[in-house]
Amino acid sequence: MNQTLSSRPVMSALRWLVFAVAVLVLNFPVIATLVTSLKSDAEISSNASLIIEHPTLDNYAAIFAMADRFDILHYLMNSLVASLIGSVLAIALAFPAAYAMARFKTGRSWLLPLAVNLRAVPLIIFAIPIYLMYQQVGLLDTRLGLAFIFALVNIPLVLVLFTSAIAELPFEIEEAARVDGASTLRLIWHVVLPMSLNVVAASSVLAFIYSWNEFLFGLMLTTSRATPISVGASFFFAASGGGVRWGVAAAVMILATLPPLLLGLLMYRQIGRSMTAGAVKG
Amino acid sequence: MERQTILQGRVLITPLTAFLIALLGFPLLLDLLYSVSQVGFENIRAPEISGLGNYAKALADPEFWAAAWFSLRFGLIVASIQVVAGLVLAIFLAPLFAARPWLIAFLMLPMMVAPALVGLMYRLILHEFVGVVPYYLLEWYGDFPAFLGRQWVFTTLVVIETLQWTPFALLILHSAYAAISPDVREAAALDGATGLRQLVSIDLPLMLPAIGVTAFIRFIDSFRVFDNIYTLVGSGAGGSTTSMSIYIYQAFFKVGDIGLAVAASMLLLAASFVVLWTINRLTARREPAP
Repeated sequence: MNQTLSSRPVMSALRWLVFAVAVLVLNFPVIATLVTSLKSDAEISSNASLIIEHPTLDNYAAIFAMADRFDILHYLMNSLVASLIGSVLAIALAFPAAYAMARFKTGRSWLLPLAVNLRAVPLIIFAIPIYLMYQQVGLLDTRLGLAFIFALVNIPLVLVLFTSAIAELPFEIEEAARVDGASTLRLIWHVVLPMSLNVVAASSVLAFIYSWNEFLFGLMLTTSRATPISVGASFFFAASGGGVRWGVAAAVMILATLPPLLLGLLMYRQIGRSMTAGAVKG
Repeated sequence: MERQTILQGRVLITPLTAFLIALLGFPLLLDLLYSVSQVGFENIRAPEISGLGNYAKALADPEFWAAAWFSLRFGLIVASIQVVAGLVLAIFLAPLFAARPWLIAFLMLPMMVAPALVGLMYRLILHEFVGVVPYYLLEWYGDFPAFLGRQWVFTTLVVIETLQWTPFALLILHSAYAAISPDVREAAALDGATGLRQLVSIDLPLMLPAIGVTAFIRFIDSFRVFDNIYTLVGSGAGGSTTSMSIYIYQAFFKVGDIGLAVAASMLLLAASFVVLWTINRLTARREPAP
């Protein structure tokens, strides 16, 4: 018994060490990119280490000087708009359906499994016909077209989360409202939705992050007007004349990663809960 | 009343159903049609039905099988490593997370980064002149491998994918571990099961469902890998990194062989169904009747 007591501080120190190493190793790509983004062009080519001798923000300024060729604000804006619309759309479509499934059992036997299994199907299968469809209806290279895809990608997760959350709500409050003569739509909007705000908020953050990070459809369905940042960022790696400007490219990576990274830090609890629930209940 | 709720339920699921029909059902029909047609970009509106030639072509294409094998191997290896690494970290670091839950946020960060951007970041990090990894390997060992060359590229990709998604395994397995009731452990301790024995005979069996789910999700996600491989190496030296998704993408965009790309898609869909069906049956059998 004494032995375990004396080994406790050692074990604790060892745990902290493992934790620190894990954080550094797992986040290594971002850390290394951040370091490079803070070096001057000259320093990048002379010193590839993780030590910055003369920190500078020049690379970040240089991004905006290139706006005539690669307009990062445009890409960021595309991602922001399409991700917001996509997340809201996914929630707007899934919430009433989840209510119907949880309370009326409508479509529980086919719609829910269909949507859940959709998560396990490689979406590239649908990418080609969607491309051809978009071409016909003029949705190619539009933010709206991209937003539809983001909604599609997120529907399985939000549907699972909403259905299980609504099923856990106390039924009595709804019944009371129903006796008062509220219609189902009003009931969902005024009673069920307010009671589910936690789940809605948590899943919309996750849906936003997944949309922001989506790449395959952004690559296939956009060319210039609606290019999202995940695709636009790669343009900065195109060697032109003097080769790739690594510092600028690194700065672009950091700017493109910052929004989901900050959301992840601020809302890690909600994100973690949604991911876990989505995995376990799906 | 009964009829009314049925009707209301139908109304409520209609928007979602319509959306899924438009963006999944209709594309699926197009997939089916084009997969049995002679079709290129020039006769896209009027494909000529030609039978199962596209399927035969895909199945006879060694690159199709190479891509399938790549995805399968990649998915299995990566999922196994992630589950083991996630399990070890989740259990070893559990006391830290119990006292300070926010610590886990720093281990979740890799999942917030777009895989496409991670691929791009490694272009920089592994670059022979400006990359940080070659720099230190050169400093310490005087040499570094060609990370993206034929011999090393698979390992490189496995490491990249593992580093980004081990946090997912860690997160799910940590919550499964934390959910084990202290009573169970106390009872086990009274029976003399402590330390490693408790882990093997109590914790791991209780975590088994979570381990299964994690392995399955990680396998699926890595099997359909596209973003990070595409941005880092494309199809790689001699097609050595062509995953199933990349194969379909290239058949469509690079070669313009719509029929082949679509037939390969349908084969992939069929394979997914077989896997899902098997998994569903396995889990259904294991779950105790309520």
